[in-house]
Amino acid sequence: MNPLLTPELGTYVWSLVIFMTVLFVLRKYAWNPLLDFLEEREKDIAESLKMAESAKTDLEQIKDESEKILNEAKKEGKAIVGDSKLRAEESAAKILNDAKAKSNEFLDDAKSKIEIEKKKAIKEIKEEVVDLSLELATKVLQRNVKDDDNSKFIKSSLEAVKVDEAKS
Amino acid sequence: MFIAEKVGKEWTMDQAPQYAIDHVANSKKNIFEFEFLNTLSEKISNFFGISSESLFYVDLGISKHVFLLFFVSFIVVSTIVTLIQGYISHKKNIPNKFMSIIEMFVIYLRDDVLKNFIGDKEYRSWAPLVYTIFFFVLFGNVLGLIPIFDLTGLIGKIGYKAEMLGKDNILYLLSKGGHTVTANVNVTFAIATITFVAFIAAGIQKYGFVQHWKNLAPSGLPWPLYFVVVPIEFMGLFIRPLALTLRLAGNMMGGHIALIIFITFIFSATAELGGLAGFGIAPFSISLALGLTMLELLVAVIQAYVFALLTAVFIGMAIHVDH
Repeated sequence: MNPLLTPELGTYVWSLVIFMTVLFVLRKYAWNPLLDFLEEREKDIAESLKMAESAKTDLEQIKDESEKILNEAKKEGKAIVGDSKLRAEESAAKILNDAKAKSNEFLDDAKSKIEIEKKKAIKEIKEEVVDLSLELATKVLQRNVKDDDNSKFIKSSLEAVKVDEAKS
Repeated sequence: MFIAEKVGKEWTMDQAPQYAIDHVANSKKNIFEFEFLNTLSEKISNFFGISSESLFYVDLGISKHVFLLFFVSFIVVSTIVTLIQGYISHKKNIPNKFMSIIEMFVIYLRDDVLKNFIGDKEYRSWAPLVYTIFFFVLFGNVLGLIPIFDLTGLIGKIGYKAEMLGKDNILYLLSKGGHTVTANVNVTFAIATITFVAFIAAGIQKYGFVQHWKNLAPSGLPWPLYFVVVPIEFMGLFIRPLALTLRLAGNMMGGHIALIIFITFIFSATAELGGLAGFGIAPFSISLALGLTMLELLVAVIQAYVFALLTAVFIGMAIHVDH
């Protein structure tokens, strides 16, 4: 018999016994605990993956919302800026117009006042001239008006007054 | 030419095959003798009516391979239990180098073999068996490649001198090669027997005793075909463990025999052609042996995987009967 194929029932029995013992020990202290452990770990990993996924969607939602809010704020800001610009322009125009109107008013007022004063002055001068001429006339009359010189003198005085009146 | 003379005295070329076979085979003598084991062996053999001269005498003495079986199982259990318990109890979830190798195999076998062939729900009850087969066979194969006991034998020889060691010394007996338990057909047949029992038990557990045996042959065939199909299926049942036995033992045996033959080239050349030829051939011989050892490492993993895979496949076949 070839020594490589000899049946050795003793070795066979020992193999069975030893293998079964190893199986029993490893099953209890190695494989079952390890498989439980791996399963638990895989469950943990799957759960955390799920959590990460939901966190991701949450984050995206928040991002979308914040973008929306930002856009709205931008729009509002633009509107506010545009509005205030318009208002400022309006008020500036109003102030300008007011100022112009007021200055015109002042000018008109001054003009009319000047006119009035002028007329008043002329009137006063006229009255003065009349008074003066009256005074002159009385003085002349009192000196017995006879000669032409006197009449000439009156005429020339009156003309001078007229020239003065025209000049003013 | 001192070496050539010395080698020539002890070695002739035609010795090589026998030397290689002796290297792989179990020891003819038990290396440890225990009185109670001897009486137990006798009692069991007498019970079955086997005489002590018979080939089938149940000798429970501790032969070299039985001793190595204890050694391998000690290494398997201590390594795996220590690593796994350490890994689980620390709760750090970070496996160390060896543990990540074990975890890789465990997860691969679970996802690609157990769940695939046995089923997502049923796999848990058969996983420990498949894992134990894989790691037991793997450790047996790999430890066989490491010449631990050749080294102890060498130390013994140097320390005590060959004459003083004596032919009955444990170190001497252990040093005579054959450290691959999985190259012994009796060992692989024992593991195959467990596979055999497992896949029959799986079928009976699922379908009940009667229905399981009915499942052997596909239903719905024309009745004359059953005279062919049933014997074939029945033979197949027993061929499966036999194939498992011979595949593993043959692979491990073949590798080791080739390894020894490559090494004996050195002695044969020395004995026949002189010392210089021996030195000349040594580099070739050693590089061949080195390459083959690398290949054997691969074969060790592959054969362990095949044994575990086929166990899972057979259990799956018994559970999922869909011809």
